[in-house]
Amino acid sequence: MDTVRLYIRSMGMLLRSHLQYPASFVMQTLAQLVMEAGEMMVVILVVDRFEKLKGWTGGNLFFFFGLMSVSFYITEFFGRGITGDFPSMVRTGKLDTILLRPRGVLTQVLCSGMDPRRITCIAVGTVALIMGSRMSGVEWSALKVLALIESIGMSCLLILGLFMIESIFCIHSVKSVELVNAITYGGRSACQYPIDIYPTPLKVMFTVLAPFALTLHVPAAWILGKPLYGWPIWTVFVTPLSGAAVFFIMTALFHRGMRYYRSTGS
Amino acid sequence: MRAYFTVFKMRLRMELQYRGAMIGGIACQVFFGLILVALYRALYEGKPQAIPIEHVATYVWLQQSFFRMLVASDPDLLDKIRSGDISYDMCRPVDMYGFYYVRIMAQKLMGSLMRGIPMLVFAALLPKGWGIVLPNSVPGLLAGVMALVIGLLCMCALENITMAFTMRTLDPRGIQAMLNLLMVTFSGNLLPLTLFPDSWQKVIKVLPYSQLLDAPIRLYTGEYPVSEAFKIITIQLLWTLVLGAFGMYLWGRNKKRMIVQGG
Repeated sequence: MDTVRLYIRSMGMLLRSHLQYPASFVMQTLAQLVMEAGEMMVVILVVDRFEKLKGWTGGNLFFFFGLMSVSFYITEFFGRGITGDFPSMVRTGKLDTILLRPRGVLTQVLCSGMDPRRITCIAVGTVALIMGSRMSGVEWSALKVLALIESIGMSCLLILGLFMIESIFCIHSVKSVELVNAITYGGRSACQYPIDIYPTPLKVMFTVLAPFALTLHVPAAWILGKPLYGWPIWTVFVTPLSGAAVFFIMTALFHRGMRYYRSTGS
Repeated sequence: MRAYFTVFKMRLRMELQYRGAMIGGIACQVFFGLILVALYRALYEGKPQAIPIEHVATYVWLQQSFFRMLVASDPDLLDKIRSGDISYDMCRPVDMYGFYYVRIMAQKLMGSLMRGIPMLVFAALLPKGWGIVLPNSVPGLLAGVMALVIGLLCMCALENITMAFTMRTLDPRGIQAMLNLLMVTFSGNLLPLTLFPDSWQKVIKVLPYSQLLDAPIRLYTGEYPVSEAFKIITIQLLWTLVLGAFGMYLWGRNKKRMIVQGG
């Protein structure tokens, strides 16, 4: 509980510090809005030209896009320490000061960064979600809301876990490894569309290695009334847990990696 | 002239140094390309379009290969603007605009060739419908290459305009993000311009952004017949001149009212 309080207080502090430069903050937040709106425009244009994608209607596609975008940007909003700042912490030796303090390394890394500019991206994602659910005629029930919340929460853990791969590499190699972007940003690009449209290798990759399909597509497809592969309803609540599994595995590896951490000394 | 050429050569060598980053970059770019092609293939299964899927795949690969041409920017210049070191450049006996124009050109050229050629080889090895197709005709290929060169010139002029705005605002993130979005959207990187709504095409085709990569690609695949090549290259040249002149004007004004940050 103590950790949670510490995290919440850090977030409050970081938010206040970001708001110290209101003009710059507003500019950058608007820039984020434009970027994400651009991403959404692509989906709209695709739907405009192709109408549907292997049995998924335009509304369905907006729903998938919105779900991915909300999950991804919530992670970047609250997990900036891992998703963005960690490589520079290693390179500059800022991580050393963290090691001196009587709290967990991961907790402190997560407490040290947030990216409130992403709020507009989350807003765009939410709009897409609402649009998608309206256009697909989803009838919401308590169970569906629960599935949606679980899906977003677990996807956030999954994305955080995937970004931690980069951190783990970084502990060993100091330099950040861009190749990992293929799985994080590549995962976002690929999995904002439902998994079953892709050929088998990509399906395997995003079901087993980076299980976006399990955390996002299985619940979303069920909410839209078109269960993925016709899987039974219990899978909707069980498969997203793979997100938490990835997160815990990566946490363990992260702590293992920290044992080999050598300061850059500057 | 010799000074500019030397700057260009130095920068080319510099860009060759980062081979490790290059391999990671290529792998990433290839993966994105595969995802995009897979997506368009799935879309085509539902509703085939007038443009064959092979051309869309070719479009994607050419875009991915020359992606560096769009996004590479001069990080040194940004630092110089922020730290005020740009004042040293004013002491150089060469024109600042030209100096940075050739630097950025070397960076974009080498960056995209080093990444582009291995990627094109990879794309050529992929099965039909996934990879890149051969150019429509030999003249089409030549026209495409020529258009690509002019596209590069046009791109550097655009980049210098962005930089001129950065010099004004000092904070590159706001305005640059907007200009970058315009660029990745209307140059066909996010979605091939050939798949934009037909009613938009007329406008999009004459925007400066479509001169960078879209025009060369369309000449390559034969969407633009070779007979039109002359017209297209004229449009490209026109834009290059206009953007170059506008950039020079902005840089000239910036030089007069430059406030150097810090010491």
